[in-house]
Amino acid sequence: MFEAYFPVGPGLGLEENFLSLDDILMSQEKLPGRAESALPRLAFALGQGAGTGDSIPEGSKLEIPLWLAKGLHDSKRRIISVELPKIYKEAWRTVFSADANVVDLHKMGPYYYGFGSQLLNFDNPENPEIAQTILQTFISRFRRIMDSSQNAYNEDTSALVARLDELERALFQAGQKGLNDFQCWEKGQASQITASSLVQNYGKRKFTDMDG
Amino acid sequence: MEPSEAEFLAEKELVTIVPNFSLDRIHLIGGDLGPFNPGLPVEVPVWLAINLKQRQKCRLIPPEWMDVEKLEEIRDQERKEDTFTPMPSPYYMELTKLLLNYASDNIPKADEIRTLVKDTWDTRIAKLRLSADSFVRQQEAHAKLDNLTLMEINTTGTFLTQALDHMYKLRTNLQPGESAHSQDF
Repeated sequence: MFEAYFPVGPGLGLEENFLSLDDILMSQEKLPGRAESALPRLAFALGQGAGTGDSIPEGSKLEIPLWLAKGLHDSKRRIISVELPKIYKEAWRTVFSADANVVDLHKMGPYYYGFGSQLLNFDNPENPEIAQTILQTFISRFRRIMDSSQNAYNEDTSALVARLDELERALFQAGQKGLNDFQCWEKGQASQITASSLVQNYGKRKFTDMDG
Repeated sequence: MEPSEAEFLAEKELVTIVPNFSLDRIHLIGGDLGPFNPGLPVEVPVWLAINLKQRQKCRLIPPEWMDVEKLEEIRDQERKEDTFTPMPSPYYMELTKLLLNYASDNIPKADEIRTLVKDTWDTRIAKLRLSADSFVRQQEAHAKLDNLTLMEINTTGTFLTQALDHMYKLRTNLQPGESAHSQDF
């Protein structure tokens, strides 16, 4: 309410949030898939061929971004079929259930939770397990995010956020903000008037420059 | 809510002062205050007390809970119990900060008091985090915490509600919902 800009959060469910920047960036992540029918002259568009006239033969492996996969996915027309990326597969799921805190979620695709929720759109027999794993991962990592965000005052937090994915980073920032506001109030700085972040970069703000 | 808003609400609490001026009873919208006679203690809201103190028109008397032994007792009890103990004032943090910043000369052992209150605060925040963690871990739907003060709720509130929001959305993924997807042509 006191912020200059209120960001729209990611949609985290089966539907993306249209206005959310996080969701837009997330849908650019690639999925492995297969072409179910021949795709004439589309090799260039899908990054596979050099010439504009090449076509993709049936059955070849592709890496397609999520927004394209969602659009082309249709159980009746069978244009492409998608597979799960490896971090949502059985092997990684057991790693997550063993100890979710050690995984570097930023490296594994910085939108683990959002992308995972979107994968549930494609009918896949493993969907309930994927949803359960994502939820359990979030719950197990919650404690560490809470502790690190509420205890690191005025320190360099880059080591702490390095292994968090984007959703967790937003949460970390919310925790930091609560802590910073409290500390700032306790020092007495809360009642000092400061320039708003929106206008600080305007060249015309210096009072002395405006004379003469 | 920001900490300064919680402080504003805290300034309505009553505290005893000893004025060095005299004034008849004043009638404010919120109620009557006074009369003020030099040397006689009178109860006023904190906002007025701080203002008079800054103009050097009064001497502040610390509230009875702002005393080293009492605070030590409170701190030890807080450390013993698993749940939150009732605090002497629902605004103990704000009052401590205000009174110790503006009237530390009227309060004996001000530094010790500051340390004791901070210790109690740290213990309570740690308990709050522990209970938030167990709440999330067991995915409960409802929790009740007694004796929390506004400032503690503010500090951890935003983080907790956002995290619970995310958890709720991830949980609704578990139910295979009616797929009201876009039309098939």
